[in-house]
Amino acid sequence: MSEKALEVRSLTKRIRKKLIIDDVSFSVEKGEVFGLLGPNGAGKTTIIKMIVGLIGRTKGEVFINGFDLDREFKKAISEVGAIVENPEFYGYMSGYRNLKHYANLAAEKIPKERIQEVTRLVGLEKAIHQKVKTYSLGMRQRLGIAQALLHNPSLLILDEPTNGLDPQGIREVRGYLRMLAKSGIAVIVSSHLLSEMQLMCDRFAIIEKGKLIQISSIDELNGGNLEQEVAFEVDNADNAVRILKNYYPGFAEKVVNEKQFSVKITRETIADVNQLLVNHGVKVYGIGLSSTSLEEHFLKITGTDGQGGMAYVVANKK
Amino acid sequence: MLSLIKNELGKILVRASSWIYILIVLSVVLAAAVIQAKFTDKPSSNWREELESEIAALEEDLQTAEEEWEKELIIYEIETNKAYLAENINPDTYSNWHFMNDTVFVVMILMVVLFTAIVASASVSAEFSSGTIKQLLIRPHFRWQVLFSKYLAVLMYSLIMLAALIIFGFLIGTLFFGAGDFNTRFFESDLDSNRTVMVVGKQFFLKVLYFLPGLIIITTISFMLSTLFKNQSLAVGVSIFVLLVSSTLGGIIIFLAEKYTWAKFLIFPYLDLTVFATQDTILQDVNLPMALLILAVYYVIFMVLTFTIFQKRDITV
Ligand SMILES: Nc1ncnc2c1ncn2[C@@H]1O[C@H](COP(=O)(O)OP(=O)(O)O)[C@@H](O)[C@H]1O
Ligand SMILES: [Mg+2]
Repeated sequence: MSEKALEVRSLTKRIRKKLIIDDVSFSVEKGEVFGLLGPNGAGKTTIIKMIVGLIGRTKGEVFINGFDLDREFKKAISEVGAIVENPEFYGYMSGYRNLKHYANLAAEKIPKERIQEVTRLVGLEKAIHQKVKTYSLGMRQRLGIAQALLHNPSLLILDEPTNGLDPQGIREVRGYLRMLAKSGIAVIVSSHLLSEMQLMCDRFAIIEKGKLIQISSIDELNGGNLEQEVAFEVDNADNAVRILKNYYPGFAEKVVNEKQFSVKITRETIADVNQLLVNHGVKVYGIGLSSTSLEEHFLKITGTDGQGGMAYVVANKK
Repeated sequence: MLSLIKNELGKILVRASSWIYILIVLSVVLAAAVIQAKFTDKPSSNWREELESEIAALEEDLQTAEEEWEKELIIYEIETNKAYLAENINPDTYSNWHFMNDTVFVVMILMVVLFTAIVASASVSAEFSSGTIKQLLIRPHFRWQVLFSKYLAVLMYSLIMLAALIIFGFLIGTLFFGAGDFNTRFFESDLDSNRTVMVVGKQFFLKVLYFLPGLIIITTISFMLSTLFKNQSLAVGVSIFVLLVSSTLGGIIIFLAEKYTWAKFLIFPYLDLTVFATQDTILQDVNLPMALLILAVYYVIFMVLTFTIFQKRDITV
């Protein structure tokens, strides 16, 4: 029987009558990168804190690698490496001493070589003997990942791991996560950026106001019968639209200019439309997915109203 | 558990402030020795004759004294001098052990307690303010183990400071006042100015021993406060306030204890048990075992409170 790396059932948190997390259940397989996606204040950090036992649960159960967090705390927690909220360290000690400090707390002895290994993995060899208070946020994120990996956990939980990283750093983190997942570790990442989830995760849960709205897989999102905004560049946009309307009577196109138009269609339809245009002698210079399409999908799912939704998309793009 | 304690002690000792506190304590001892050496006379060999002539002079003064309080003061001084003669104790004798028994002792009860309270509060509240408490608690150890290792580490630091103080005090005392006999006898007066002959070295170590319960309880209080409030300044402030209350309100508590029995069960009179080195009871009838019992009850309450709250609390940093 293949055990799940993590299973949470009916996770609920109420603080002073206010329901902060409402009956959230999901599970994460080994070798999978699983995302928690939701705007700020949705409850991602709260869910993570309940999983690692930093805060109590009003209701619900947590199983890590099959170990019940309540009854076998030590066994369950030694399978976990995590960053909760920000990567936090003792600024007055060097990166190496910080790692040594956490290594001393592991269930089994961690050799010096392992500390060097994780340091190398996150590319901090040069700065590892500097005091952490001199580190940039990006360096602390990397030290945070190193710290979480020290004891070879089977479940890695990273809360907003790309916060404070530049695009290059984000790409690197994505790289580690992929590599770790390949080696069989289950990874949970939280983010408020859909575009990031798309690139990092195999599946993600959409959290909104403490509720789990939906779990999607990236494949589903990319393929399937999801309608996406697709832009076409042709020699004559009006002519192309006229041809298409004969075949698709309910065609909801937007003509951008005389050479460009966009339309909401499924992935399969893109190929059909292309073929149709080519067969009718229309020259197709380019086909592109409009980048906001997934965010629109996200907004549709979370049911955010127009104005708030737009603000959210704009906020994400910063 | 051992690795936890080592970690916690390491975190205390890696900080410059921990060493600065110890340096401050030692500097105060040095400064006190320098000042004291200026005002200490070399004991003369014919001290018996000097005392006798002083007694004669005092007796003459007694004849001419008019006020009642004046007479009482002179009589007290005459008796003191006679006691020195009777016990064959040179009043001007001052050695390293005398220095330990008064100066080092005062530095100990004032400063070691203060700095231990500061380090104790920082040990817990700093983990909250830096957010590292989250990392600390997602390791395969129970919360009480994490907290208890901190508690032990702080007590160890306190012992290191105490040992440094005693060793340094002894060296400085020897340097400035010469190596005296551990068994030198001297007069120690209690709260009512009654004199008793004591052995100076023994008396010092007795005071150190009686100092420990108070040190532990103040550490426990700071520890409790910083766990409850997660705020170092508040924890240190309240701990110092408790210490001040116990030393300045001593008179009021003695007064209250005469009228009401419950006043005897307040914690304040028992924070400094070193008074038992010079007298058998305080507040009329409270002896050392009784005082220790009262402290023990407070201790258990504080510890249970600290640990149960820490065990249950949501980590909200
Ligand atoms: N200790 C607390 N007391 C009251 N409300 C809280 C507490 N902690 C979190 N919340 C609320 O719970 C919600 C979820 O917060 P959080 O889990 O930090 O969201 P996210 O990590 O998704 O940004 C927020 O609305 C926040 O205000
Ligand atoms: Mg958060």
